[in-house]
Amino acid sequence: MDRRDTLRTMISAVGLLTLGRHVHALARGAALRILSARQDTIVVAASERIIPATETPGAAAAQVNLFVDAMLAEWYTPEQRQRLLAGLAELDAQQFLDRTPTEQTAILDRFDAEATPEHWFGMLKYLTVWGYYTSEVAQTRELGLWPLPWRYDGNAPYPH
Amino acid sequence: MAMHRIRIDFDAIVVGSGITGGWAAKELTQRGLHTLVLEAGRPIDPERDAVEHVPPWDMPFRGLGDRAAIESRQPVQRHSLSFDELSRRFWTDDVDNPYTTPVDKPFHWFRARQVGGKSIIWGRHVYRWSDLDFEANLRDGIAVDWPIRYADLSPWYDYVERFIGVSGRAEGLAQLPDGQFQPPMAMNCVEEYVRDRVQERFGRERVLTSGRLANLTEPLNGRAACHYCGPCQRGCVTRSYFSSVNATLPAAAKTGRLTLRPYSIVERLQHDDANGRVTGVRVVDARTKAVIEYRARVVFLCASALETARLLMHSKIANSSGQVGRNIMDHIKHTGVTGEIAGWTDRHVIGVRPGALFVPRFRNVGATRAPFLRGYSFLSAARRSEWSDRIFERGVGTDFKRRLSTLGPWTMSFRGYGECLPRQENRCTLDPVRVDAWGIPVLHIEAEWSSNEHALHRDMAATAAELLEAAGATNIHQQTTPSIMGDANHEMGSARMGRDPKTSVLDAFNRAHDVPNLYVTDGACMTSSGWQNPSLTYMALTARACDHAAGAMKRDEI
Repeated sequence: MDRRDTLRTMISAVGLLTLGRHVHALARGAALRILSARQDTIVVAASERIIPATETPGAAAAQVNLFVDAMLAEWYTPEQRQRLLAGLAELDAQQFLDRTPTEQTAILDRFDAEATPEHWFGMLKYLTVWGYYTSEVAQTRELGLWPLPWRYDGNAPYPH
Repeated sequence: MAMHRIRIDFDAIVVGSGITGGWAAKELTQRGLHTLVLEAGRPIDPERDAVEHVPPWDMPFRGLGDRAAIESRQPVQRHSLSFDELSRRFWTDDVDNPYTTPVDKPFHWFRARQVGGKSIIWGRHVYRWSDLDFEANLRDGIAVDWPIRYADLSPWYDYVERFIGVSGRAEGLAQLPDGQFQPPMAMNCVEEYVRDRVQERFGRERVLTSGRLANLTEPLNGRAACHYCGPCQRGCVTRSYFSSVNATLPAAAKTGRLTLRPYSIVERLQHDDANGRVTGVRVVDARTKAVIEYRARVVFLCASALETARLLMHSKIANSSGQVGRNIMDHIKHTGVTGEIAGWTDRHVIGVRPGALFVPRFRNVGATRAPFLRGYSFLSAARRSEWSDRIFERGVGTDFKRRLSTLGPWTMSFRGYGECLPRQENRCTLDPVRVDAWGIPVLHIEAEWSSNEHALHRDMAATAAELLEAAGATNIHQQTTPSIMGDANHEMGSARMGRDPKTSVLDAFNRAHDVPNLYVTDGACMTSSGWQNPSLTYMALTARACDHAAGAMKRDEI
């Protein structure tokens, strides 16, 4: 088993543990609609480098890749979709999946320094952040917003 | 098209089931009248249709909305403050319900066709008017005088507030009469601090107070206290905020005298030219397009300000004054002045309060005179910035995640709502060409802000910055573009009340001068716009008009 497969196995194990019972509505039982298997693997890896697992799970465990696929299928224009897919090809051309996590972060950092929100990396980063922070794992464990508190306290200690 | 001439007689017909239609239904049925409420849209059941507890991860677009569907079907409605991925089900379809404007005078007409109307998605801020407002047109020599004063409406404000449930704080201000309040909702720690600094600087001239909200802080008539979940615009399964479906329509149904017919588009009012009375309405079924006629002794128009004007113009009645469709007003909005407040980084807010704080009008109050007429209010709130505020910051990886996951500094913001003067030129007419999906002529709306509204808007930016400076805020920045007319969702004035039948459409009891058994109690009736959110006044006027109509019917006057 090469490093890439190991990473995927680890990611899906974490995903199964934390999210197996709460798969996103759009993804429930559905195959990917836009991303190929390889493009999906790149999105999983890149999103995990943008929002990595720390003491809390990261973007991969939150299945941000499924959100990216859904948005590409139904939200973005065909032109925007092509732009993001071309960006994934650019990552692939740099052997992104064969790099160490540190090297992957360095590659993404270089795009990040230049990217506007319209740039393919700006899109990928936006989708990763939005998809992660609206996920169940982030809303419950990272942000502590759910379950609903059912009260108002305007002077609560922080960090909670 | 098939004609189904099913004539059914009622004591009263109410057109519309929104915030005023619900009140008319309750008041008329409770006075013994068999009442038919006609609603253009679909039925709403809070148990089934309220979606406020759906978490973001269960939304197909995670709160970003179905872009393609929204752009193609709701390009106008999307601009409303409370329009979101889930609440969009409570706004109309712009393709089926078009209207036109001149290219250089955009107008945002927000509409809701369903049982409950816009009361499901309203802002819930409820403020009384005072004689500063009822006497304003007379004092300024503008438009026509209101035919009523605060004393006429005050008991009806009491009556409405007791039923809807208002959380708020009594302040003893002449320009903002106190009412029947449940305990106010709390301010957060930074809001309390800013309130105290504003008080130090401005005393009782500029007051930052709790919002007066139609959200319960104590149970009322089987409705639960608010549980601070946040997105009221998606409905409320605990019925904690006031809406027709949460309170008035159930009360009307309890009398056994309510007939509620959804999918019923009132196409025109039927009238008897011989005696000048309205005899009933002609309805198009929204689904089958079948035409049905209903008759009644009295008709209440509660269809929303512009729909009511459209219906009156299409029916060619109640317009001997020529004022129907004219004098359209809204509130000019300043979208925000925001500043950072240092400190309190070890504090945060749990739960979401369903409304902002309030700064009542302080311009042209008492002896002070500003270089414009009337005044404005501010809505205000303090919050800590969060991940979504920093989504475009540079960075990837562990540090980036940590930054986004940590709450940022506190910011305090003020958003202004300014009074709009009534002007004849701001008007709607029936479009000579376009019709809606049911073949009914649509409105052509031609309205724009005048120099007085622009002067208010400029002043808001300056005084909001003064409030922030009093609180020691830094990094003060502001939005400078005025709202598009209609954006405040407070369109009103298109069939105004007045003393003289030659210059106004409705009398002091909201009855058409020309038609003794026709009442208009939605926003169309407004003679001036005030600086307050208008719904409380609409409700009080409706309850008062129903009392008048029931009395007139009992005496066989109508």
